[in-house]
Amino acid sequence: MSERRPRVDLSSAVGAVASGMATILKQVFRRDVTEPYPHVIVPPPPRSHIGRHRLNRHENGLEKCIGCELCAFACPADAIWVEGAENDPEHPVSPGERYAKDYQINYLRCIMCGLCVEACPTRALTLTSYYELSFTSREEAIWTKEQLLEPPPPLGTDPVDREG
Amino acid sequence: MSGRATELRQETMIVNMGPQHPSTHGVLRLLLELDGETVVSCRPIVGYLHTGIEKNTEYRTWQQGVTFVTRADYLSPFFNELAYALAVERLLGIEAPPRAQVLRVLFCELNRIASHLVWLATSGMELGAVSVMLYGFREREAILDIFEMATGLRMNHAYVRIGGVVMDLPPGGEERIRDFCDMLPGRIREYERLLSRNPIWLERNVGVGVLPAEEAIALGVTGPTLRAAGVAKDVRRDEPYCGYETYDFEVVTREAADCYARYEIRIEEMRQSLRIVEQCLERLREPGPVMVEDPKVAWPARLEVGPDGIGNSPAYVRHIMEESMEALIHHFKMVTEGVRVPAGEVYQPVESPRGELGMYVVSDGEHRPYRVRIRDPSFVNLQALPTMVEGGLVADVIAVIASVDPVMGGVDR
Amino acid sequence: MDLLDWALLLGRVAVVFAGLLVTVMLLIWMERKVIADMQTRMGPMRAGPRGVLITLADGIKLFFKEGIVPAEADRPVYLIAPVIAMLPAFLAFAVIPFGTSVTLFGREVPFQLADPSIGILWVLAMASLGVYGIVLAGWSSGSNYPLLGAVRSSAQIISYEIGMSLALVAVLMYSGSLRLSEIVEAQARVWNVIPQFPAFVVYLIAGLAETNRPPFDLPEAESELVAGFHTEYSGIRFALFYLGEYVNTVTVASVAVTLFLGGWRGPAPDVLPWVWPLLWFLAKVLAVVYGYVWVRATLPRIRFDRLMAFGWKVLIPFGLVWVLLTGAIVVLPDVYGRGPVVAGAAVVFGALVLASVAAPLLRPRPAAEVGR
Repeated sequence: MSERRPRVDLSSAVGAVASGMATILKQVFRRDVTEPYPHVIVPPPPRSHIGRHRLNRHENGLEKCIGCELCAFACPADAIWVEGAENDPEHPVSPGERYAKDYQINYLRCIMCGLCVEACPTRALTLTSYYELSFTSREEAIWTKEQLLEPPPPLGTDPVDREG
Repeated sequence: MSGRATELRQETMIVNMGPQHPSTHGVLRLLLELDGETVVSCRPIVGYLHTGIEKNTEYRTWQQGVTFVTRADYLSPFFNELAYALAVERLLGIEAPPRAQVLRVLFCELNRIASHLVWLATSGMELGAVSVMLYGFREREAILDIFEMATGLRMNHAYVRIGGVVMDLPPGGEERIRDFCDMLPGRIREYERLLSRNPIWLERNVGVGVLPAEEAIALGVTGPTLRAAGVAKDVRRDEPYCGYETYDFEVVTREAADCYARYEIRIEEMRQSLRIVEQCLERLREPGPVMVEDPKVAWPARLEVGPDGIGNSPAYVRHIMEESMEALIHHFKMVTEGVRVPAGEVYQPVESPRGELGMYVVSDGEHRPYRVRIRDPSFVNLQALPTMVEGGLVADVIAVIASVDPVMGGVDR
Repeated sequence: MDLLDWALLLGRVAVVFAGLLVTVMLLIWMERKVIADMQTRMGPMRAGPRGVLITLADGIKLFFKEGIVPAEADRPVYLIAPVIAMLPAFLAFAVIPFGTSVTLFGREVPFQLADPSIGILWVLAMASLGVYGIVLAGWSSGSNYPLLGAVRSSAQIISYEIGMSLALVAVLMYSGSLRLSEIVEAQARVWNVIPQFPAFVVYLIAGLAETNRPPFDLPEAESELVAGFHTEYSGIRFALFYLGEYVNTVTVASVAVTLFLGGWRGPAPDVLPWVWPLLWFLAKVLAVVYGYVWVRATLPRIRFDRLMAFGWKVLIPFGLVWVLLTGAIVVLPDVYGRGPVVAGAAVVFGALVLASVAAPLLRPRPAAEVGR
């Protein structure tokens, strides 16, 4: 072991402890940094994509998703499953030829990196900051197309209300 | 000493410190042989947080790799991303635009401060200074807020991409960072008032965990632990990247090579990082692109925030879907196949908060890496742990681990 | 003693016991709130208004948790240890006078469970008994960390008890009594903290060590020994340790108040004359505890060898010297008269102050000195 020993003389030690205690006391008068979540919900910044995805619709109600599967390609975690199909010309689900017959995102795999929305060529898929995700089973963690098409409620919505 | 007494002395106690122990920084396991409270031998055992990051990248496109490596050393995500992106850029023979370089430096230095704050917090906690822990995390929170504002995520940002960065700063971002730069020096002075001359802090750190320069070099130790031994080695200055040679900063060194010297170095490095951040903010006054123009390399994304969240901007969607077939093809090719990197191998070091973080990247000319090997400083620095703790007390082991600041995510990858 | 006396005694015991429990509950809440305040947090907010019932909620939770007995444990000892750790803490409080007295059913009922002539010694005895609980807990757990914690603890408490006793000896020499109520009486004019300030400091430091509070919380140093002697404990048995520790804190603070801060004395208006001393006592105890929390928020944990070195090489010699000085102050005026002694003391004190101011100035500062 080294011979280097701290030099601590009494006056400097007492001084250091006193100035430390004064520093601590100063904090008492500072604003608390605690966010009293769920009573006060601080909105995440605009760019924040710490929450669930959302599938969007055109103004006429048609889905923006064209079933191209680029999001599934881009996903580094293999969290997205898309199954494309031909649109029925009589009752199209989306503009153009194809639409997503099935669309699932597994939130046990998703890492919120955002590559999927960067890959989406139609802005059909966007990421929101709705982070209040919870599930009690693996099945529940897989969100279906219907769930994803639903816009997220405001943060802090009671889960019971959410279920309807 | 009588024969019987010698016999008694030989009875040592084996203690497994970790992998579940409050102060082994996650899941580090130390096999300690104790004689009373004196450490006779110490064997670090790693591997409890292995996540297969290196191997995973071999099965993903080059661009997807960013999202994996950022999760290795989770306290310095920007450095992982940067080292990876720089390595691939070198293989591609391209360079990110100047503004992207400045943004990279800016976020890396903020990240360095954040990482050092976590170090301050955890080592304060481990030595029993609970308040310092909360103050450290409090200030780090301000940095994470800046990160979230700019990248949309608080950790593991996937912000630095091959050929640039994914987004420019949002409006008002510079002021926000400037406010932080104004706030932090006062807070650092507070930490120093709490710790620097505190007799107990001195007792716990001065002369503890000494690692002289020769041994540190022999063991491959880098970063603050090496600089604490008086070796002014810093990749930012020795092998500059992202234009570090044009920034004005000091490589902080101390001679004592003990835990206290490492403490001083990290505190001072926070100040140096702030200096660099301020210089970055000056340079950000000039607008410019943040991603290379070449559509065969640039990741095709123009993100914009709307009422529906964050996604590709409607203008870009119109461009690829209605105006330019070529752009649409590039978009599809880039997402599905990614960039094709010429065969070759490259080792790219950056100076992470913990030392030299290197990415050894091999390409066989395909769309995926052939091999990505991360030289993580925490892993290498942990090698020196036995040298530092043997002969000391159990309590010193804690101080030494804290001063080495290993991040197990990086150690086990 | 007739039946009424016995009933009153029992009632007192019950009231003190319950009062102590409630005080501890509030104290834990207060400590958490105060330290949260010092760390710009909010602290407990949920159970009750501003989280005041948090300790009750914790207690109920712990009560219903499974109490695990490790396979390696020495079962009977393991089970009895928490009780041994907790009981002395309560018993020590028995001799503390926490108020004057009140007249009930025509009898004078003092606010003090017992007033033996050996009051201080009782406190010391109980404080040292508490260490048995810790040692037995650590030993009977049959695992490494608790054992290390227990060994540390016994060494620490035994060492610091000497420092503590020395501080107490100085006070009792000065007050001329071992009986706590008389010591309070003796402080009618000047609180002991003024003439006995060094003893007060020694007592506070030793008290921190006695109660295993930071920065002397080595027996349960979380970052080193996981949780020290109570690593293996869970459920209600863990709660008993926790309770014992905080009752100890109250006791140590109460002793400090009684011996140095004038006990229950304080200005009081004429309405309800028995209430004010109680409030004064409580306020003083809370002030001492606030100081302890403040210290906890400020200081890192001291290392074990330094802790022992500090106890033996600093605290005990200092305490001894102070006991000598106190002896001199108490005895010398009787022998030589007041004037010369005061003059001599002033000269010595002045010399000491000069020396302590001059010493750091005279010593050359080495270049490699740490800190700036």
